[in-house]
Parts: sequence; structure tokens; C-alpha cells
Amino acid sequence: MASVAHPVREGIRGPNIASADVQLPAVRDYEQVDRDIIATLGFTKKWFIGLALAIVAMLCGASAWIYQIYWGLGQAGYEPPVMWGNYIITFVFWVGIGHAGTLISAILYLFRAGFRTSIYRAAEAMTVFAVMTAGLFPIIHIGRPWKFFWLIPYPNWRLLWPNFKSPLVWDVFAISTYLTISTTFLFIGLIPDFAVLRDKETNPTRKRIYSILSLGWRNSDREWRHFAKAYLFLAAFSTPLVLSVHSVVSFDFAMGLTPGWHASIFPPYFVAGAIFSGFAMVWTITIPMRKWFRLEHYITLNHLDATAKVVLFTSMVVGCAYLIEFFIAWYSSVRPEQEFFWNRVFGQWWWAAWIMLLCNMALPMSLWSQKLRRNPTWLFVLSLFINLGMWFERFVIVVPSLSHEFEPWQWGGYTPSWIDMAFLVGSFGWFFMWFLLFVKQMPVMAIMELKEIVTPRFKNTHGHGGHH
Amino acid sequence: MQGVLGVFHHLDSTVSAIEELKKKKLGDVTVYSPTIRHELDDAIAGPNSVVRRYTLIGGLLGVSFGYWIAIWSSDYWPLVTGGKAIASWIPYTIIGFEVMVLVGCLATVAGMFINSRIPRLTTTVGYDDRFSAGHFGVFIECDANKASQAEDLLRHAGAEEVRREA
Repeated sequence: MASVAHPVREGIRGPNIASADVQLPAVRDYEQVDRDIIATLGFTKKWFIGLALAIVAMLCGASAWIYQIYWGLGQAGYEPPVMWGNYIITFVFWVGIGHAGTLISAILYLFRAGFRTSIYRAAEAMTVFAVMTAGLFPIIHIGRPWKFFWLIPYPNWRLLWPNFKSPLVWDVFAISTYLTISTTFLFIGLIPDFAVLRDKETNPTRKRIYSILSLGWRNSDREWRHFAKAYLFLAAFSTPLVLSVHSVVSFDFAMGLTPGWHASIFPPYFVAGAIFSGFAMVWTITIPMRKWFRLEHYITLNHLDATAKVVLFTSMVVGCAYLIEFFIAWYSSVRPEQEFFWNRVFGQWWWAAWIMLLCNMALPMSLWSQKLRRNPTWLFVLSLFINLGMWFERFVIVVPSLSHEFEPWQWGGYTPSWIDMAFLVGSFGWFFMWFLLFVKQMPVMAIMELKEIVTPRFKNTHGHGGHH
Repeated sequence: MQGVLGVFHHLDSTVSAIEELKKKKLGDVTVYSPTIRHELDDAIAGPNSVVRRYTLIGGLLGVSFGYWIAIWSSDYWPLVTGGKAIASWIPYTIIGFEVMVLVGCLATVAGMFINSRIPRLTTTVGYDDRFSAGHFGVFIECDANKASQAEDLLRHAGAEEVRREA
């Protein structure tokens, strides 16, 4: 395996990433980019252990699913009136995780944000695997998963069509479009990188696979011209798509009259929450990756600092939405709404609401400190708290609302069964299994875009400041 | 396809070779680079990509289909739900939008593939593995009569290696 460069020691204080020349000070030339990123593809013991743990967790979920299919949906912890529980909570959680990937790869691309380059490939892959995970839960939730295709409009002998006025059908369109476009976006960006791997690979089998995946890419001016335009349009389409998908997911709730759900603030609140949780998951996967793959000179403290500012901002948006919900309930003078929001923080599920508020509103305020924004260990720990807090946010939206509707005779409880917990664990196993397989088969950073910000060699250095 | 290939290590040498070749009009020039460089784009001054037309047509087809399937199937089975009109424009805009994005993106990718002429089975004449790493390449499609003039020009511009391809 080729040696990799040692990272430049960085101070506590650093510049904001605005211009290309401050982004990767330790990366000298194009060949170093190839060397360093290809070096991450080597198998290690830690990777095998991680993959084994992920597969075991995934099998927990798979076993629970087989058990539930055999014994029926009654094995889940549903009891009237709470007929939406862990499955919908975890579905919304994983869809939200996916949003940061598209935000980083598409929206930050359009805004030319400098810190995007080093992290977007991992974030894009995270999006695809998170949406793949999320997409399983509605299928699990319908109880008879083999009938899920009834949600798709297609000519059939029963002459039946889905109800296009239902938010659940909007979900089918939004999520399937999102998964297709995210996967396409990821693959298109990978084509030039597959060409690099094809040209460097010495193992004939892997070379053959990369040759097929690279589609005969040659790095010609014609290819780059059309690639750049296609990438721009994909980013332009993905930007409103990412905003629409979580808005549509929020409509699953906001279109109902249930107290705590029927609010027009839901779409922006859900989108901000999705970006917030997605960035936290980006930290959860990139901070260990940065250390284990020795990529500190690609994902620098400046990059982490910039992402921390996004997390801080979205935390404040989410926190503001939490507080505005209380205001809306008070200002509406609707008794069931007021009762519900009082119940949210002091009633049956008070502990869930306070976990949410602590993890999503209070702890991220630590990011006002630049010292903490540039501390990878703290960011990793914080990301775990935010992941926890965002799962509980969805719990707080789903369970307390359903368990405390308009009339006291409708009130009830919810206790997740072991099946619910196995699905939750299994979802993490499924997600991390795919991600771990991805990082050893494909470049975790976009080689082509990293080269774009590295200064090429110039024969005549006047006015270029390039390397000889 | 035959011609002359020049392999360059420096960006400015590549740019000056392209400019000289365009002046001399020795043949069609193909430039290879490990990544997108605006210096090369400016020197090549190629036509605008037509991928945008595929995007537009795909988007329009998608939005039309999205609205059509929702309206047609509602009219086909006219059941009032939620007290809304049989064909409700506002909820159907979600379907129209999602299908517009889906078909528009897939059409964009198709446009890119068709115009870039991928997938292809081989990397064809004029390609070198170094072009995906750190080198730039300039290939001039020309016959044997013009080949020596092209070779001289590429060497003079600073090519590290010049060879004839057939």
C-alpha cells in the first residue's frame, strides 16, 4: 500500500473555508490525491469487526421481520389508540438522516461552499443508504409487505388506482423519486473516479469491474463538458427535491387534525430537523473515517468547523420551531392543543420531550465555542446525542399526540415490544453494513473534485503560484 | 481514427499547445485532463452542452405525466375523498413535481450519456492511463501528411511525450 501524507498540524483557531487555496494545504498534487484516496480501499481488521457487528445487528432486524410476518403485525407494540409507533418514528428518522447528503452534494454545490468537497461523497452515500433504510419501514408497517406494490399506480385487472389525495401516496412518490435521484447523483459523480481506479488497479478482476462501472470514461473535454452540465442540472433538481421530500413526510402528520400535528409550521420545521440530524450523522461517520483512514489533511478542522456552524444554525431553527409550537397552541385558544402541549413537557411522556430538548436545543449551543467546534472528539460525542435527540423528536411527535387526542376515552399508552427494538437495532445494522461495504469498494472522497481544488503543475509559475 | 497524441505534465503548456493547434487547423483536437479546468475550457472554446435540452424536455414530459396520471385515474374512479374535488390541483401538484424531477433527472443523465458517447466498451485510440492521474493529453486527429507538423508543434509546446496513434 502506498504511503499517505502526514497531516499539517492545525491550531485551535483557523480560517473559514471560503477560497480554494486554504482548503487542503497539505495536499501537493494530483498524484497524491490518487494515492491517499486509493489507500483507503485496503481492508483492515477494524473494518472486518465493524462489518461483522453491522451484519449481526442487521440479522436481529431480519429475524424480527420473519417473526412478525409469521405471527402478524400484532407482535409490534401497537395498542389503540397508538397505532403508529416505532416504525413510523424510525422511518422519519432515517429519511431525515438522508437529507444532509443531498444538502451537501447539491445545495452546497450550487452555493459553491468550499467545505463541501471533502465530505460530500460520504454524505451522498449516507443519503442513499439512509433512504434505503427508511423505505423499509412503511413496507414493514403495512404488515403484508408483499402487497406494497399496490401503492404504485399501474394498470391492473382490479381497475384500482391509489388515492392521489392521500399523504401516504405522496410519500411513495417523494421517497421513490428521492432514492432514484440520490442514487443517480452518487453514481454520476463516481464515474470519473471509477476511471481512476480502473487505470490504477492491478488486480484483473477488480480492474474489469471498475472498467464496467466507469462506462469507458476517458476524461476527454467532450465528456467533461456534458458531465459538468448534467451535474449542475442534477444539483438544481435535487435542491427543491430535498426540500419537498421532508415537507411531504411532514404532511403525513400535518394533514391530520390530531393535536400537535395540525400545524403549517411542520414542513420547514421538518426540513430544518432533517438537515440538523443528517449533519450529525455525517459527523458520526466521517470523524472515525477521518481518523482510521488517516484523512485529517482532507477533512481538516476547518471543514469540521464549517459543518459545526451549519449544525448550530439548524439547531436554533429547530429550537425556535419547538418554542413556536407552544406559542401557536397558546395563541390558538384551542383547548385540546393547549392541553396536549402542556402534556408534552409535563405529562405522560415528559422524559422523551426533555431528552429531545436537551439533545437538540441545549447541547448544540456548545458550538458557539470555536474551541469545541474544532474538537473532533466533542463533535463525535455531540453527534451521538443529536442522533438520539432527533429519534426522540419523532417519538414526541408520534406517540404523545396519538395517545392524548381530543377525548379522555381516547387516551392510552404505548410500550414498544422486543420486535420494535429489534427493528430499530436492525435498521442501524442495515445502514452501517452498506456504508462499510461502500467505503472499501469505492472512493470515500471525490477524487475528481479534490483535484479541482488542488493547484495543477505549471511550467511558468508567474501569476499561478503553482508547483514545479 | 489516426492522429498524434501529446502527453503534458503542465497545465500552461497544454493550454498553449491547444491554442497553437487551433490556429494551425491541423485537425480535430481532443483534450484529456484529470479534472475540469477552466483554463482548458477557455482554450478549447467548445460549444455549449446540449444536455439542458434533454433536461427541459424530460421535465416537461414528467410534469405532464404526473398531473395526467393523477387526474385521469381520479376521473376514472370518481370517488370523493376528504370533501375535495375529484381532480384536486393542489395535492396533484406534489405528484406533478415529483415526477417532473424524476423524469427530468433521468433525461439529463440520458443526455449526458448520449452526448458523451458512453458507455463504450474500450477507451479507444488516443487515451493514456496517465490522463486520469496527473497528466494532460492533447490528441490531434490528422493524416500522416500533417502528423510531423503536429508532432513538432506539441514538442515545442512542452509535451513530455509525443506519439502517433492509429
